Amino acid sequence: MARVGVFVCFCGANIAGVIDVPAVVQEAKKIKEVKISIEYKYLCSDPGQQIIREAIVQNRLTSVVVAACSPRMHEKTFRKALLDAGMNPYLLEIANIREHSSWVHQKDKKAATEKASDLIRMAVAKSIANEQLHEISVPVTKRALVIGGGIAGIQAALDIADARIPVTLVEKSPSIGGRMAQLDETFPTLDCSQCILTPKMVDVASHPYIELIPYSEVIELQGYVGNYKAKIKKKASYVDFSSCTGCGACTQKCPVKVPNEFNMNIDKRKAIYTPFPQAVPNKPVIDAEHCTMLLKGKCGICAKVCEKGSINFKMVDEVIEREIGAVVIATGYDLWDPKPYEEYGVGRYKDIITSLEFERMVSASGPTNGVPVRPSDGKVPKNVVFIKCIGSRDEAKGIEYCSKICCMYTAKHAILLHHKVPDSHAYIFYMDIRAAGKGYEEFVKRAQVETAATYLRGRVSKIYKKGDKLMVRGEDAQIGQVVEVEADLVVLATAVIAPKDNPALARLLGVSYDKYGYISEAHPKLRPVETAKAGIFLAGCTQAPKDIPDTVAQASACAAKVCGLFAGDTMKKDPMISTINNEFCSGCLNCIKVCPYQAIVTEEIPLGHGSKEIRTVAKINEGVCQGCGSCVAICRSMAISLAGFTDPQIINEIVAI
Amino acid sequence: MITLGLLEKNTFLEAVNKKSGTNVLECYQCGKCVSTCPVSGYMDFPPREIMQMIKLGLKEECYMANSMWFCLTCSACSGRCPREIDVPAVMEAIRHLAIEENYRSENKKVKDIRKFHDIFLDMIKRYGRNYELRMMAEFNIRTRNLFKDMHLAPKALLKGKIPIGHESTKSAKAIQKMYKLAEKLEKDMK
Repeated sequence: MARVGVFVCFCGANIAGVIDVPAVVQEAKKIKEVKISIEYKYLCSDPGQQIIREAIVQNRLTSVVVAACSPRMHEKTFRKALLDAGMNPYLLEIANIREHSSWVHQKDKKAATEKASDLIRMAVAKSIANEQLHEISVPVTKRALVIGGGIAGIQAALDIADARIPVTLVEKSPSIGGRMAQLDETFPTLDCSQCILTPKMVDVASHPYIELIPYSEVIELQGYVGNYKAKIKKKASYVDFSSCTGCGACTQKCPVKVPNEFNMNIDKRKAIYTPFPQAVPNKPVIDAEHCTMLLKGKCGICAKVCEKGSINFKMVDEVIEREIGAVVIATGYDLWDPKPYEEYGVGRYKDIITSLEFERMVSASGPTNGVPVRPSDGKVPKNVVFIKCIGSRDEAKGIEYCSKICCMYTAKHAILLHHKVPDSHAYIFYMDIRAAGKGYEEFVKRAQVETAATYLRGRVSKIYKKGDKLMVRGEDAQIGQVVEVEADLVVLATAVIAPKDNPALARLLGVSYDKYGYISEAHPKLRPVETAKAGIFLAGCTQAPKDIPDTVAQASACAAKVCGLFAGDTMKKDPMISTINNEFCSGCLNCIKVCPYQAIVTEEIPLGHGSKEIRTVAKINEGVCQGCGSCVAICRSMAISLAGFTDPQIINEIVAI
Repeated sequence: MITLGLLEKNTFLEAVNKKSGTNVLECYQCGKCVSTCPVSGYMDFPPREIMQMIKLGLKEECYMANSMWFCLTCSACSGRCPREIDVPAVMEAIRHLAIEENYRSENKKVKDIRKFHDIFLDMIKRYGRNYELRMMAEFNIRTRNLFKDMHLAPKALLKGKIPIGHESTKSAKAIQKMYKLAEKLEKDMK
């Protein structure tokens, strides 16, 4: 005879404000199997759990129903309370009377109370058919895959590797370093970006626990947490990295010149190139889109000058496989193209550039040797106008959100401009100054007071040409007047956007992404470094715009999560998975087609007891199955059963209402 | 519309900073001074806007405004300024610079205030301290408003608020010396 305990939670006023809890408790007492039915203000609290534990022991309960919030919230908490009372935790059922009743029926208290009673009656009926279940242990592959070799990926890889866990770091471009490698100095301390980044890049390359795979992409991911299998496409570099010494003779002699993406196309690189002098690995690759040898079969100068014979024009893309236990996504960001700002003359006026172009110019290793110049005539500018929020906070042309970093890097640019061209003057058109961060407000003050940059509050309405100057017109809301600035150079702080490949990558990995293309975290506040898919984490701007300190912090947090996942040799897994009864399986294998996790395989068994003939049936891979139930629904011979949601349990529930 | 050229040397800002001993660039436009100021409602440009105009080098607009003449130098603004800017000192500096550079507002009220300042200084120079009755009379004559506030005179006189004669001070001569020294310094500076 079943002995069920019902525990109804007030959840403060969340439930009790709408539902008549004492009435619900009395209603539950009427059910034959219910031996105890009590209420408490906060069941999830320690005294609340104590009530459940005591009731289990005193009443010798065979199952427990907690009527409270969503099982997503506290199922684990109450399962643990059952376990502490010496009961199998899977004998718990939750009746979700908060999200499913009190929150959605606030205006009809009577109906909400009735619905709560119904939900409890169903849960009681289901719990009577509950069986004792036991957690499954699955082995863990202790290797992490980090996608993206910017500062986020570098930091995550180093932190994981330092815990002696092997890491495979996959980078799309020929060198790691990412956006940070393109920066000159960093706010708010004006540390040289290269000086703090390149040592980390070298550490990655030399770390015994890091396998760096540059110029490659992840093209497939299968499996489940702790046991993923990734396919990585190594793009043909046409250079044998193992013999190449990185002497640079090939890049010097190559006759083909191509716009240099690393320098924001301000200067040219060769068709065989290393992206920048401090690149890691410092080996060149051939750009197949521009190499005349690969396109027309003529030239081959690089192969002639290479003393080691490392050039191989016959190289093809190669796909390699890695078994891994966890993934860190760190794909970084792109910058918004300001073309829609036609009123500014973007595209028409050469002397309007983007912030990253300005950044490359003021970089000591940049294309203009650290001096900003006007692209039109190469002269050094005196009056420079910086315009913030280009694309950011612009629902008409760009995106709704704030790009977060522009306020700070524009203040930095004003300071750097003053350092590089002391007799220059910076004007900054802004809407707000968002300087929340350690040392940030002080840094903006430095730009305003020491550098004497002129901050003008307003969005620029238009830019037109007058002689060789650009006239920038906007309002200074601080004095309520329209101002026009004679500018030699205009720098647009373009919005940070998600990399355009993010949605495709997200689909490939099976994680969700938002409307902007950023990878979604599992919970915006409490699980900010995890995706909803177990074992896949995210770091840096792939989630949302972030500055370097935040990115590094999140990358280290990812590493902590990965290390936690790999702490034991096996992982505990929920036992609520499908099982197949061989006797009933007809071998139609429809279940294999509907399984989203590739968790079902085939198995050959004897046709009958002692028979030599065989037949094919389906078999569940316990480690892979996530318990979604798709196979149960499709199985025409009703051979599949989902633990925790068996037919008797579901039928009991239906009968109860 | 205001056109801004090369502000590489904002001489107006430099002059105001030097004279006031404060750095106008410190202002971050919060507007606390404006809501604190008892007379900001009467000013052409309240103190916050004056600060921004100095930053933009809008010299003439500042000189022709009535703001610095209306300023009571009560220092309520500077007492509350989060960036500790001495706003009355800035106002004082603009007053000085406007006079030095011969900018004269045609605004009647500004003219009256300037006359008030002149008469007051004249009283001190002559008597070593203020001589209220004469100051009031002279102000009324020079502003061509003879009977201004006259209805208050009997009451004030009876209560002894306005002494009939001027009170003497021992240091009148010393003050006159100071005036001479100041005039000499002013000439030397020019």
